[in-house]
Amino acid sequence: MGCGYSLPDRDSRQLGRPNSENGGGQDAKNLRVKLVLLGDSGVGKSCIVLRFVRGQFDPTSKVTVGASFLSQTIALQDSTTVKFEIWDTAGQERYAALAPLYYRGAAVAVIVYDITSPESFSKAQYWVKELQKHGSPDIVMALVGNKADLHEKREVAVQDGMDYAEKNGMFFIETSAKTADNINELFEEIAKRLPRPVIT
Amino acid sequence: MEGSTSRSTSFHGFLHRMRHPSSIDLVRAIKSFIVSFSFYQPKPENDGKRVQDFFLSMEVAIRNHPLWETATEEDIDCAMEGLEKYIMTKLFSRTFTTSLEDSKIDQEISEKISLLQTFLKPEHLDIQPVLHNEASWLLAEKELQKMNAFKAPQEKLSSIMNCCRVINNLLLNAAMSEHVPAGADDFLPVLIYVTIKANPPNLHSNLKFIKLYRRQTKLISEAEYYFTNLVSSKTFITDLNAKSLSMDETKFEECMQAAKLAKKVTNELHSTSQMKQQEKNESNFSNKMHNKLDARVFHVLQQGSNYPYMEAKSKDLAMEDVEILLHQYKDLVVKYTILCKAINCLSVSEKEPLLLQLKMQGVDTHTNDQTNSHRDISQ
Ligand SMILES: Nc1nc2c(ncn2[C@@H]2O[C@H](COP(=O)(O)OP(=O)(O)O)[C@@H](O)[C@H]2O)c(=O)[nH]1
Ligand SMILES: [Mg+2]
Repeated sequence: MGCGYSLPDRDSRQLGRPNSENGGGQDAKNLRVKLVLLGDSGVGKSCIVLRFVRGQFDPTSKVTVGASFLSQTIALQDSTTVKFEIWDTAGQERYAALAPLYYRGAAVAVIVYDITSPESFSKAQYWVKELQKHGSPDIVMALVGNKADLHEKREVAVQDGMDYAEKNGMFFIETSAKTADNINELFEEIAKRLPRPVIT
Repeated sequence: MEGSTSRSTSFHGFLHRMRHPSSIDLVRAIKSFIVSFSFYQPKPENDGKRVQDFFLSMEVAIRNHPLWETATEEDIDCAMEGLEKYIMTKLFSRTFTTSLEDSKIDQEISEKISLLQTFLKPEHLDIQPVLHNEASWLLAEKELQKMNAFKAPQEKLSSIMNCCRVINNLLLNAAMSEHVPAGADDFLPVLIYVTIKANPPNLHSNLKFIKLYRRQTKLISEAEYYFTNLVSSKTFITDLNAKSLSMDETKFEECMQAAKLAKKVTNELHSTSQMKQQEKNESNFSNKMHNKLDARVFHVLQQGSNYPYMEAKSKDLAMEDVEILLHQYKDLVVKYTILCKAINCLSVSEKEPLLLQLKMQGVDTHTNDQTNSHRDISQ
């Protein structure tokens, strides 16, 4: 099934989207940030990214590049910009051992689970532990409980996600790629938490 | 990613500017850098660092050079691309697969792939049926196979990008018809499958070369992502075992075993026929070969086995033939045993038509199909 189509329109708050492609330069005002997505297959990673990057849940729109690497720039209030370069990873078990190749050098890890699936929550915890052991020490981690629109099927309590995140010093949010709920907030919050290069 | 035309024009533009009299100092720096390389033994990690440092210092020099005074960022980038291509083409033999260890890894991967090729199906990697598209796969394979033919890191990298682009197009078309978002879950298995089908020459060495010598400011973002996926594909293949696939583990082992044996037989046949050819040319067995052949022998000869004694009579043999005959006898027994084992590794449905055919050709193979005792022998 697709990501669904009965969607409220995109962000009410307009985010600035300067599309300067020359992301190579890393200066204090324009950050380029590698963000890696981790989590079980089917939890909604691709839908979250599409929602954030294209403002839509509908994957049928015409695009020129693949959906496994996407980038999106957001402008913050202090007139700095953050360009997220989003690295999707294959969620199937047999590729788990390859994950270090992807999260190496990442500034941000977004670990996603599905609130209707306790297994996916366990898997998320596995990734948190793995990153604590092998990720770069100053990586910003976010724990995301997706499919928050499916209240009636919820199996992971909000409090459980929150507690786990707090214990592990992570940022926590519940999102719905379907309704767009909290998607932009997720990325804005991450942007705020990024260590800023010192202006010299 | 630039197309090949803009790349080649940027390269010619670079050469053109380098011929300008005022570039003399740049040319001198480049030449002395290249020469300095021949003074040392290859040492990949050091060499990579030296080349990258040189790129950076040259970028500064170019930015400050009168010829590039009014240059845009894009012009500078073109010059740097030209420089990378020039330097790495000159230093290619000095920097590509410099250690025995690297070529051993290349060979091992390639051999493993050639075994996997004999039985691996898209289903074993859970590639969705909507992504089964021989035409796209073939196109992607072709792109990947080009990588080894280029010398410049940028060109090798763009072979990878082109391959990934073909796969992405396939994924996007499927996503549009199926209304599912295509992500890494679909991308990576297809890339692995394409890598196995393509068996790109010197896979490990090419990846290492790109990593070390592609300008660091260019191996970022999307290029770095797709590059990493190929590294990931290589790693998956290298570590691939019975547990890595959607396939019965015993079946996997059997297939690998059968592929290994089949390969060994082909190699042996190949080397013996070469050896025999040589022997035949060297010595004068010909007078021993005039006897009439019975149909079975003739058939074997027609099949291409090259055993000169097949036509000999005992009275034709001389003492010096004994050694050769003994050698050939041993050789045959080894091959025959391997062949029997290989046949025994096949499933019943695969084995039956083969045995039938052999029987029709009058070849008697002692395969144990009734009992399962072949498992002990083949261990
Ligand atoms: N109800 C609901 N379904 C979602 C949501 N996000 C994704 N999905 C569905 O979950 C399935 C898997 O999503 P996908 O993005 O492909 O997951 P991935 O494997 O983690 O990339 C798709 O069928 C989506 O339609 C969400 O927020 N709410
Ligand atoms: Mg996905």
